[in-house]
Formats: sequence, C-alpha cells, structure tokens
Amino acid sequence: MSRKRALIADTFCLKRRRSAADAVAGGSHEGAADIRSSLQNLMTLFSRKLFNDSLPPVVLKHQLYSLHSDRTSVDKQLNELRVSGELLMFQLGFDSEAFALVFAEDYRAKVLQGEAGRETLETVEKFLDKLIPGCSDLSFNKEKMLKEFLFTDSEITQLVKSGVLTVRDAGSWWLSIPNSGKFIKYFIRGRKAVLGMVKKSRYGEILKTELEGRRTTSHVKFQMKYHIHDIVGAELVECIQTTSGTLLRYVDGNIN
Amino acid sequence: MLSFLYARQSGLDDPVRLRRAESTRRVLSLELNHNRDVARVHGNGINTLDIEVIDGRYMLSGGSDGVIVIYDLENNSKKLQYSCKTICTVGRSSRHVHKFSVETVQWYPHDTGMFVSSSFDKTMKVWDTETLKPAEEFQFDGNVYCHHMSPVARKHSLIAVGTKDPKVQLCDLKSGSRIHILQGHRGEILSVRWSPRYEHILATASTDSRVRVWDVRRASGSLFTLDQQNGDKSKASSEAVNTAHNGRANGLCFTADGLHLLTTGTDDRMRLWNSATGENTLVNYGKVVNESRKGLKFTVSRGCSPEFVFVPCGTSVAVYGLHSGELITMLRGHYNNVDCCEFHPDYQEVYSGGKDCNILAWVPVLRQPDIEDEENNSKRGGTQAAVNPAFEDAWSSDEG
Repeated sequence: MSRKRALIADTFCLKRRRSAADAVAGGSHEGAADIRSSLQNLMTLFSRKLFNDSLPPVVLKHQLYSLHSDRTSVDKQLNELRVSGELLMFQLGFDSEAFALVFAEDYRAKVLQGEAGRETLETVEKFLDKLIPGCSDLSFNKEKMLKEFLFTDSEITQLVKSGVLTVRDAGSWWLSIPNSGKFIKYFIRGRKAVLGMVKKSRYGEILKTELEGRRTTSHVKFQMKYHIHDIVGAELVECIQTTSGTLLRYVDGNIN
Repeated sequence: MLSFLYARQSGLDDPVRLRRAESTRRVLSLELNHNRDVARVHGNGINTLDIEVIDGRYMLSGGSDGVIVIYDLENNSKKLQYSCKTICTVGRSSRHVHKFSVETVQWYPHDTGMFVSSSFDKTMKVWDTETLKPAEEFQFDGNVYCHHMSPVARKHSLIAVGTKDPKVQLCDLKSGSRIHILQGHRGEILSVRWSPRYEHILATASTDSRVRVWDVRRASGSLFTLDQQNGDKSKASSEAVNTAHNGRANGLCFTADGLHLLTTGTDDRMRLWNSATGENTLVNYGKVVNESRKGLKFTVSRGCSPEFVFVPCGTSVAVYGLHSGELITMLRGHYNNVDCCEFHPDYQEVYSGGKDCNILAWVPVLRQPDIEDEENNSKRGGTQAAVNPAFEDAWSSDEG
C-alpha cells in the first residue's frame, strides 16, 4: 500500500539511528527484517554433535528479539511462518514465555529418524502428516485428538511414548520434541553459568566481545553466541551501546 | 514541520493533522524542566494524581500520609520560572482527613466542585471542594485499592470501587446506595476503569490474573475475560487459561478513543487489547518492570499520532509507542520509585509522582529563538520585533 502522505511518525524519525556497532551483529541492518534468514543463522549456532544428531536445530523465540529491534513485527512474521506450515513452535516447560522454534522439515526428518525400526512409526507418521501442513497449535486436548484427528486412545499412548506429545494435564498434551530433556537441562545450566559470568565481572557488566572470547566452564555446552542471544533477547541483561562496542550489564531483580 | 504548515495553509491537509503533528513533536521532546516546579507538600510518597478535565488547570494529589492537595497548574505570572502552588490541602490537622494512605483521587468529571478519594482506611469520601468537608462517606470491609467515575456518564453517576473483596461494588452518587455488586473475580480488585466511549462498560483487574469487562446494565456476569493467548492454549494446566497476565494484573488504562485497553501485570508485561472483542493485539512491549503490590497508575497520551504510553517503571517513567511497542525514551529524574503519572492533554505535559514525595513536571522543550535575529533586533533598537506582537507569548522571555 503506497501512501499519498507521509506518516507523522516518519517525519519525526521515530526509528532510532543505527550505530556502527550494530553492523557487527548484522541483524538489525536488514531493512526488510527477514526472519527466515535470521532463524537460519541462529540455527547454525546450535551444536548438533552434542546430542549425537538426534535433535533438530532448536532456536528460542526470544533469541530473535536480540537481532531485531521491533518485537511486534518479529511476532507477526513468526505467526505467518507458523500458519504456512514452515515453522513449528513448542512450549518448553521451564518458562511460560520461552518458546522453541524448529523448522518443520528438520523436525519431521529427525523424528522419523528416531522412530525408524520401532512399532510406533506409523502412528507418528500419521500424526506428523496431520500436524505439519495445517495445524499450528501448541497443545492438544482430548476431544481434538479423538474427533478432529481421529486417533484412538492407544495411538495417543504410542505418541506419548515416542516423545512427540508430553502430558500437560488430565486429557491435554503439549507438542514436544523427542529427546529434548537433555537439551533443556544443558540450556538452563548454560544460561545460569553465562549469567553468573556477567554478574561476577567488575561492576556487573562486560563487553560482548570480551564475553565471547572468555573460556567457558564445562557447564556451558552450547556456543557462547547462542547463550548471549538468549540472555539479551530475554532481557536478563541490559544491552548498552558504547564507543567500544556493546556492553552487557546484569539486571538486578532476576531470579535466575 | 514546514511541510505540515504549508499543507495546512494551502488546504491540502486537515487542520487536525497539523495539531497532531505538533503534539507528537512536543511529546517526543519531553524533558525535565528547570523552570517548572510543583510545590512539595507531601511528607510521604504520592500515590495518585488527577488533572481535571474541564480546564486542565487544577491537579489533585493523594499521598501515603492521607493528605490530599490541590495545585494550580496555570502560569499566571509573566515569568518563565514557575512553581505550581497549592491552593488548599486536606492536611493531617483536618478533622475529616483519611486515617491511612490515600490510594486514588479523582475529580468529579463534570466540574471541580467535588472530588472523591478512597483510602486504605476502608472508606471512600466525596468531598466538597469549597469547604473541604466530606459530603458523603462510604464504608467498606477491606482496604479500598481504587475507584473510578465514568468520564462520559450522563445517565448514571456510579462510582466503581475495587477493594480487597473479590466483589466489585458500584456506589451511586445521587442516592448514596451501594447495592449493585459485580461478582466474578476470585482475588482482590487492584484496578477499575470505565470506558471513555460507552458509559456502561467497566473493566476490572484483579490479583487472580484476570481482567474482566462488564456491562453494568446486565444482570448476569462479565461480558468477557481477557485471554492473553486468544484461545491458544499454552499454559501449564487447563485451569490457568483465560488469564490476562501470568502474575497479578494491576494496571488498567483505556486509550482516549476507548477502542483499546492497556493492562499491566506483575509478570513484567504490558498488553494491548481490542476493547470491543477482548482480543489480544499481541503488540510486544518487551519487559515492563512492575513490582507494585497495589495498583499501578499509568496513562496514555491524547491527540498525538502515534499515541504514547507513559508507564512508571521503577524510578523512571518509560514512554512506549502504543501500537508499535517500541521504547521511545525513559524519563529519569525521580529519586525513588514512581507510583503514578498523568498526562496533560492541552500542553502535552506529564506529571509524575512517587515515593520521593516529589511531583515532577515533564515539559516539552521549546524551540530556541535564532541568535542572529536577536542581535539584529537589538541593533535596530528593538523598534521592530522579530515576532508579530499578536503571536508573542506574554510569559516567556527572549533570553530562552
């Protein structure tokens, strides 16, 4: 839609001027805010070997917020990708606001790879066929499974056994990633360790480049950049632009 | 800016557009002004502020010491340096003063002859401004967190009161009765607001994380509950659905046109809702720090495009774009937590009060006159003014 007259907001340059430091991150310079390429960039940060290649690359939704400044447009584009069936979103158990994002093809490939040879293979295939093109829900309850998807009770049990569904409540299930327990454990531990590193630095702040260069303890299994995007996006640290680059300052009042 | 003036002059644009552009420019340049001060009267924190709607001249403030003060905001002295004086106070020496902290004050929406205050001493008093004596007093069973009178009501004069009791009480100003009760919440009511568009629509926020919208004419329960997921179930258990926030919902504000409702909660989130359907517009404001155990009083600008939300965040006031969700600026200046803020629509000023007993006025920065023009004037002996006398301000000096 082309505008005949300029918006008042544009006249007063409401968008903040991008500093040179942002060019290093590369994310916020994308004028069209291409979420898909940011997602792919973040997925490369995910270490596959750690889980013996049994998990698809997982990215958390708030990691995108650290790359793009306009959260509302990020949310909108994510919704479009979910509705078109390219992206799947999962509710991880540890934080009601933390959502995991996986590309649909990766998810399908890994799940079927994990199921190969087991007797639950067909049920899982049937479920994936129903899920991937059309449905973009985070959780399912009993009526939906029985009536819309036409699954029987025993098939639902098989799905839970295979890890595709996790029990949420009596009669309702979360969509989940099989074998993701280890991922969540390492993730939480790594997040705590990285936050501790920021907190223990002098004045509770550290330059982002310096943090990336620090040696990590054995608690931190993922790449440092992955964790940094996570803590910046979840606003567990404050991001301040300085002349020597981006500074991360620990925010008081955090429980974790 | 010149393009707006030219478009207005030649008739290309609506007159309203120029007004909105100037209001937006002024809001974007809000700053703590050395020249504007508000007299410091309260001995303890300031909980609530209200500017009257008719003239925008008088401001009420209620404090944690139970004191209520009325200020005159208008600058009648011809000097730039102005301190808003108090006209009268209901101080600790008055016989009718509240015993404990005053939580909410509000002017009567139609004139300044009356105002209503509610307090933790479990009473709500309707005061006569001239004599500063309560004309009516309502007693409640629990602490009164908030009350609100509808700004557009013509057919009724109900005051909605939120107390520790999960039932919302409606008190009638004309008859003094309070038999109307709205049932449905399961926790203390922290905030109530009437819609500025329809005089029968009321929104209430409670510690049970729910925000309900009511039509007071209906005998049955609430119209709808605001659901942050818009029906998408993603909570830990099926019972925890239909909540507006993951923590206590403690702040409510309608936009000036009444079409949208903003809510804040202790889960550090602020959400924007469509007030007709109850749908979450999913605008993401990021983390809006909120640790208030009582209600949070915040405000939305009027007459700008785009609208701005002023939210007290810790010791500063955060300014967000209403529909874009981006943080425009943080207004820093208070020494302690900010509890309330109020927007003056005619002058685009923000007044904020907090625990440091100060009320700060955030005033748009004026454009400085050009230095060259001033020198030319003084050379010509000041016979020819740079500004047409008709446009000259009587109260600002040329020294800037």
